[in-house]
Amino acid sequence: MGHHSNWPEWIYVGVIIALMVWVGAEAWNVERLVEHVPSDAEVIIVTGQQWFWTFEHEDGTKEVGTLHVETGKAYKFEIVSTDVNHSFNIHDYVVLMDAVPGRVNTVWFAPDKAGEHDIQCREYCGLIHYNMRGKLVVEDPTT
Amino acid sequence: MKNLLGLFLVLAILVIIPTVDHVFAAADEPGEYIDRRVLIWNLFFRMMVAAFTVGAVVSGTMIWLCWRFRESHPNAKPTEYEKSGNFGESA
Amino acid sequence: MVLELQKPRPVWQIMFSTHHTDVGLLYLIMSIAFLFMGGALALLIRAELFLPGSQLIADAMTFNRIFTVHGTTLIFLFLLPSASAVGNYFVPIMVRYKDMAYPKLNAIAFWMIPPGGALIWLGFADFTWYATPPYSIISAPGPAADMWIFGLKILGISSVLGAINFVVTILKCKHPDMSIGQVPLLAWAFLSSSLIVLVAIPTFAAALLMLLTDRLGVTGFFNPAMGGDPIAYAHLFWFTFHPEVYVLVIPAIGMMYEIIPRFSRKPIYSKSSGIFAFVLLSIVSFSSWAHHMYATGMSFTEKTVFMLGTLAAVPASGMHVFNFVATMWNGRIKFLTPMMWAIGGIALFFSAGAGGVANAAMPLDFTTHDTYWVVGHFHLFVMGTIAFGTIGFIYYMFPYVTGRMYNETMGKVHFILSFVGTILVFFTQHVLGLYGMPRRIFDYPAIPEWIAMNQIATVGAMIIGVSMIIFLINLIHSSAKGKPADIHDPFGLGGKYYYPFESKNPHH
Repeated sequence: MGHHSNWPEWIYVGVIIALMVWVGAEAWNVERLVEHVPSDAEVIIVTGQQWFWTFEHEDGTKEVGTLHVETGKAYKFEIVSTDVNHSFNIHDYVVLMDAVPGRVNTVWFAPDKAGEHDIQCREYCGLIHYNMRGKLVVEDPTT
Repeated sequence: MKNLLGLFLVLAILVIIPTVDHVFAAADEPGEYIDRRVLIWNLFFRMMVAAFTVGAVVSGTMIWLCWRFRESHPNAKPTEYEKSGNFGESA
Repeated sequence: MVLELQKPRPVWQIMFSTHHTDVGLLYLIMSIAFLFMGGALALLIRAELFLPGSQLIADAMTFNRIFTVHGTTLIFLFLLPSASAVGNYFVPIMVRYKDMAYPKLNAIAFWMIPPGGALIWLGFADFTWYATPPYSIISAPGPAADMWIFGLKILGISSVLGAINFVVTILKCKHPDMSIGQVPLLAWAFLSSSLIVLVAIPTFAAALLMLLTDRLGVTGFFNPAMGGDPIAYAHLFWFTFHPEVYVLVIPAIGMMYEIIPRFSRKPIYSKSSGIFAFVLLSIVSFSSWAHHMYATGMSFTEKTVFMLGTLAAVPASGMHVFNFVATMWNGRIKFLTPMMWAIGGIALFFSAGAGGVANAAMPLDFTTHDTYWVVGHFHLFVMGTIAFGTIGFIYYMFPYVTGRMYNETMGKVHFILSFVGTILVFFTQHVLGLYGMPRRIFDYPAIPEWIAMNQIATVGAMIIGVSMIIFLINLIHSSAKGKPADIHDPFGLGGKYYYPFESKNPHH
């Protein structure tokens, strides 16, 4: 079958494999860096439920819908759900992690500039999934 | 072939050494946390450079093929298989 | 020729027939009908999302039902049956056998699909085509949810029965003089996809049953309140449905293997590469399922393993692209409708794959997961590659099925409008996803960039809609009044149109 030499195809496959190895290595590296939670990160418990977000800070302060954090600090979100799957997403900070009932998922970030950002739900959770939104307010530390 | 190997070696080193350096230099002090946005979007844009380059090669090749081997091209000549009429798979 | 509208056969004769050409025709007509039904839902969705706020659709629940049924219909009631249509019609011819291995079972497998489809459409569930628990257990309204589950159950059994038929026909019923290596690539495509179905579908059948008993409150497999784990469903679902997407794409690539060599007037560059790539792709398709679950809280090691499994599939897909490109090289290409669809399909196949590689890189998933990037990505596969390949092949087999030629100009216009429309919708949606717009949302905040991109996508969708109307008119009119085709060389390629062994329908 086929009486021509196949070396162009071998080179082509070799190039693809090299590209995939590169993609894999780069992705592995970035993921490794991004998943390393700083030891001094402040814990915020994020609860997703149909159809709003609530937050509880380490000192017991609770917030509904709007989350206040400070620049220069690292925060570790411990994300839980009380009913169905949701997904906690702060798109501007590339924070994304599912809220799955029965488990606690973790993601961290460190905001660096004051501002307001949208929080949205990124896992279909029913009727008001489209409007399960919140606000992240990043403030400079009030020393 | 040897030049190609040398080139790949150089590129590999150019990528590995900065990466290794960065990895061991990553700090964890307040105010010096890594910015996940920067890392992730940086990776994304590098992937896009690769993807669009390969895309340009693949689609450019296909466009050229369609242009060069169309029936109406002045240099179009019948393929050697048109005599037997067997364009289905050879056994 | 099983559809000669000017000398119509009794409809009941086709409906009760077990001959593979008739069953193929039934699959073809039904799948095209569902293409239009699912497509209409897509146009509704796009019209609604043209602007923030409610346009045509009154409330979120209706919208949620519409996108659920849209996805379910186009995957299970269009893509899979249209592949079965082609397979039923041509596999026995390709292996030089008189029919499928089990003709009666074949007809039964077909007739299971309309009731399955009816259950889905009459129920109109809202829990997305994944039906993920806990939502599908504790929150999704019944009886729609239960009807969907039963409908999918029936469709899954139909798929498995069809797969058994293909595997036995190809491996056991092929002509004694034909070695397995001589079996055409399109038949190899059906062999590969059928083997994947046999391994993958039973997992989902189990998951569906578990979902049903969970909904009834009898069990707690996926319900945390009863000690279950929703992530278990995700594993079961994706263990089936990642390979399933290859079940969808492999036949379409096989169809391109029929079109591209013939219209280039050369045999395929390397048949052995094609066979190797199909087999490799089938095996590797099982190694990547949890890349759909990167955001569920998997460990770093798990994610790495599945990323590698995903990337491993790229060389096999790339081999097919190489094969097509190398076949066209030094050919003398006639750009008729089927060839345009096949080439357009390859170009979009590459774009879909490239976007997929970006997705597979674990950290990039944080930017794209459950956004419109994913919607754009998979639609480039299902519409850009699979539907394009299938539609091209429908044009290709048209003379064989009806004895008449379709209208070539309308066919080309259909292609150009669809190609432009597909790019407008799905390339734009990649960028829309990068800007953060989630999937499955009825309404969105009035962010100017989101509005602009949604509008571009809606325009593109309407262009595709217009092109499909042209398609429908062409199909119907040409079946009845098209110019009689030269059955030995309808496309004027100079080659043999089809295999020496032609099928003999007993009713003819």
